[in-house]
Amino acid sequence: MFVVIIGGGRTGTQLANLLLAQKHSVHVIENRPEVLARIHRELPTEIIFEGNYTDPEVLATAGLPRADVLAACTVSDPDNLAVCYLARTRYNTSRTIARVNNPRNAWLFDSKFHVDVALNNAEIIARLIEEEMSMGDMMTLLKLRRGDYSLVEEKIPAKARSIGIAIKDLGLPENVVIAAIIRQGKVVVPRGITTIEADDEILAVTDLIGAKQLASLFAPSEPAN
Amino acid sequence: MNYIVVGCGRVGAELAYSLFLKGHKVSVIDHVASAFNNLHHDFRGRMVEGEALNLDILQRAGIESTDGLAAVTNSDPLNAVVGHIARTEFNVSRVVVRNYDPRWRGLHETFNLQVVSSSSWGAQRIEETLDHPEMYTVYSAGNGEVEIYRFVIPKQWDNRTLGELLPKQNCTPVSLTRTGVAIIPDCDTVLKADDVAVVSATNEGIQALHQHMYEEN
Repeated sequence: MFVVIIGGGRTGTQLANLLLAQKHSVHVIENRPEVLARIHRELPTEIIFEGNYTDPEVLATAGLPRADVLAACTVSDPDNLAVCYLARTRYNTSRTIARVNNPRNAWLFDSKFHVDVALNNAEIIARLIEEEMSMGDMMTLLKLRRGDYSLVEEKIPAKARSIGIAIKDLGLPENVVIAAIIRQGKVVVPRGITTIEADDEILAVTDLIGAKQLASLFAPSEPAN
Repeated sequence: MNYIVVGCGRVGAELAYSLFLKGHKVSVIDHVASAFNNLHHDFRGRMVEGEALNLDILQRAGIESTDGLAAVTNSDPLNAVVGHIARTEFNVSRVVVRNYDPRWRGLHETFNLQVVSSSSWGAQRIEETLDHPEMYTVYSAGNGEVEIYRFVIPKQWDNRTLGELLPKQNCTPVSLTRTGVAIIPDCDTVLKADDVAVVSATNEGIQALHQHMYEEN
């Protein structure tokens, strides 16, 4: 895949390195001289393009017309929005991804400016912290799809309400799927008739609401304190 | 009319005050409170401190019921983005944005926004006044691509026709004033020294005219 990254700050550079390691083709456009000096030490020189990223000539030189993806990672929300709009209207770029710097600007990051995917750092981190606070013993292993869904792990305590109940009878919320059960060090592939046992480690794919319901389902029947 | 001015620097403060003096209701947005010090002390209007991309701020400035919005900050992307939202999300019918850095001009064109390039327009005016003080601009169309120029017919063109004077391309006569009476001239109009001529021309047209008018001294 060929990705053009706008902005060579920490995020842009990190992304470029990640994509290069996965053998994707990457170009980075940056216009701040002080940042350019730094990224020339961190990235291969041939992928760095210097100049104003709303200048059609600069974008053309950097190969935007044949890019599969545009990633707008600058620290300026107006710049990220403008460049996504430019990429779609001028070059018909098929996928645009933009970084949201100020969460209060998030409402602009959609079809208004031809942004396909908006990544809101502050919101993702805030949500992670909130979840970690509310979930008690439940551990988030992996965030899926911008953090809407997660893979979570929870150990069933000895007095959990759900012990001895088959999965199909648990009344699991709609957005929860039990993916695996680790029982005495072995993976058990869960079926509807599989019953929950004490000390099981449950791996589930769930959204945030489902995770809360799951947590209460697996909680001990008597309050712990 | 209700107007919103985004950016309270020199251009914004001047614009806001001028609109206020004409009797309009003006809201000014700037993310730095001290920027409002740029406003004339007589200015009466709403001053909204905050980021112009913030929905709350736009609503507090009255975006839902404004008749026009001018985005005149010193950030071209911000001006373009605010202008675009005003037009597409809030159906503001009159939107004008300022082009600050001439290199970003193309961005505003992509958004199809009415743009005033204050820096390059100012530079062009200064250059013309410096270079051709006897010929000055009375009106600029667009961002100065076509302008209306006023000049006095020099002695050496007395009794010659306007057709001889004007270049064939990029220059059209608008009016000719003699002793206070104006007419719409054509190529056959005979000139008198000290007539005041007004022509519409591009930059190439006016350069050619200037050269031709004075070369036969």
